[in-house]
Amino acid sequence: MPKPHQGPAESDPAIRVRALEAILTEKGLIDPKALDALVDTYEAKVGPRNGAKVVAKAWVDPAYKQRLLSDATAAIKEFGFSGLQGEDMVVVENTPDVHNLVVCTLCSCYPWPTLGLPPVWYKSAPYRARAVSDPRGVLKEFGTELPETVEVRTWDTTAELRYLVLPERPAGTESMTEEQLADLVTRDSMIGVTKAKAP
Amino acid sequence: MNGIHDLGGMHGLGPVVPEQNEPVFHEPWEGRAFALFASTFVFAGYTVDEFRHAIEKIPPAHYLESSYYEHWMFAFEEALMKRGFVTREELDARIAQLKSGGP
Amino acid sequence: MLLTPDMVPGLVATGASARVNAHVAPRFRVGDRIRVRNHNPTTHTRLPGYLRGKVGTIENDYGVFAFPDTHAHGLGEKPQHCYSVRFTAREVWGPAVSDRDTLRVDVFDDYMDPD
Repeated sequence: MPKPHQGPAESDPAIRVRALEAILTEKGLIDPKALDALVDTYEAKVGPRNGAKVVAKAWVDPAYKQRLLSDATAAIKEFGFSGLQGEDMVVVENTPDVHNLVVCTLCSCYPWPTLGLPPVWYKSAPYRARAVSDPRGVLKEFGTELPETVEVRTWDTTAELRYLVLPERPAGTESMTEEQLADLVTRDSMIGVTKAKAP
Repeated sequence: MNGIHDLGGMHGLGPVVPEQNEPVFHEPWEGRAFALFASTFVFAGYTVDEFRHAIEKIPPAHYLESSYYEHWMFAFEEALMKRGFVTREELDARIAQLKSGGP
Repeated sequence: MLLTPDMVPGLVATGASARVNAHVAPRFRVGDRIRVRNHNPTTHTRLPGYLRGKVGTIENDYGVFAFPDTHAHGLGEKPQHCYSVRFTAREVWGPAVSDRDTLRVDVFDDYMDPD
């Protein structure tokens, strides 16, 4: 758990970052406006609404779903989502028999183009330790309970493939539009700690 | 490396604690630290693998107690110092200056 | 190279894949049983300790990628196949866990031997 910061108004890490940014800028090695653009991109432009669109389309379009399962990188790129930390994508499908869960035990690997940047809990020690050894316990903490007959399949992102869970389409959604369906697809359901929301 | 980062299966770390409505960056410095990755990667020539290994070498207690983007700062400083883009003395001097209210 | 703001969208959209365009023969095929090596380098590796010595099955061959163990230390890409390997939960954690649950881990060619 991070130590609370005491002392002067600006925290130690904030000063450390400011120091590095200032020195590198003075040396002409970085452009602070590029930092601004990167911050803006991941705060405002790239996030789980991207992945939700991909999932919703897979739910309504069986041909798209096949493309997604056989070449996820290309299928996701059809939406214009691609690149950094999503160069080599794999989509794994939840079914009545299999529930998928994604983790990176060794660090924090996560599919940025479809989900944005990972939440703190995904990157922290308890999740990284227990997603592989006690996935049902972790799922329970998120309110997800699965019968013993369902296989929980945990994917440890140890290489450069990035994983996205395709959650099951909830019941009672037959008349919903693709846009409405996308609203049911939560970030947590695409990591695999929960199912998609009920309508 | 059989380091502290190799957490799969470890016991005693407690429950997963999600934060409700969590912002992408909790403080502005986290956003700057995040953005420094791409900005330093393109000029310094280190690999993502080297970056990860620098984080793995953080002393274990500090690894567990410090926050995620603090880990990134360790890695940047190590990769950049190793390549001579910045020195420990330069960094410490600037940190001291900023702490005492300097520009 | 200085990263300027106009370069950011392109960098974000393209990224930097670790795939290597090299013809490297795979040592394993889908369906093969493997045993993870007792690999304990003091240097960088992407083999999690919990897999050492465990028996699994090759489920997929993702193709050829740079090898992190060497790439982290400036020792070259040593391109090789990266596989999705299936391990049962019980194989990894013992008899107290579900007999149905499984782990799928991305494992490099150099981390395994045939079983």
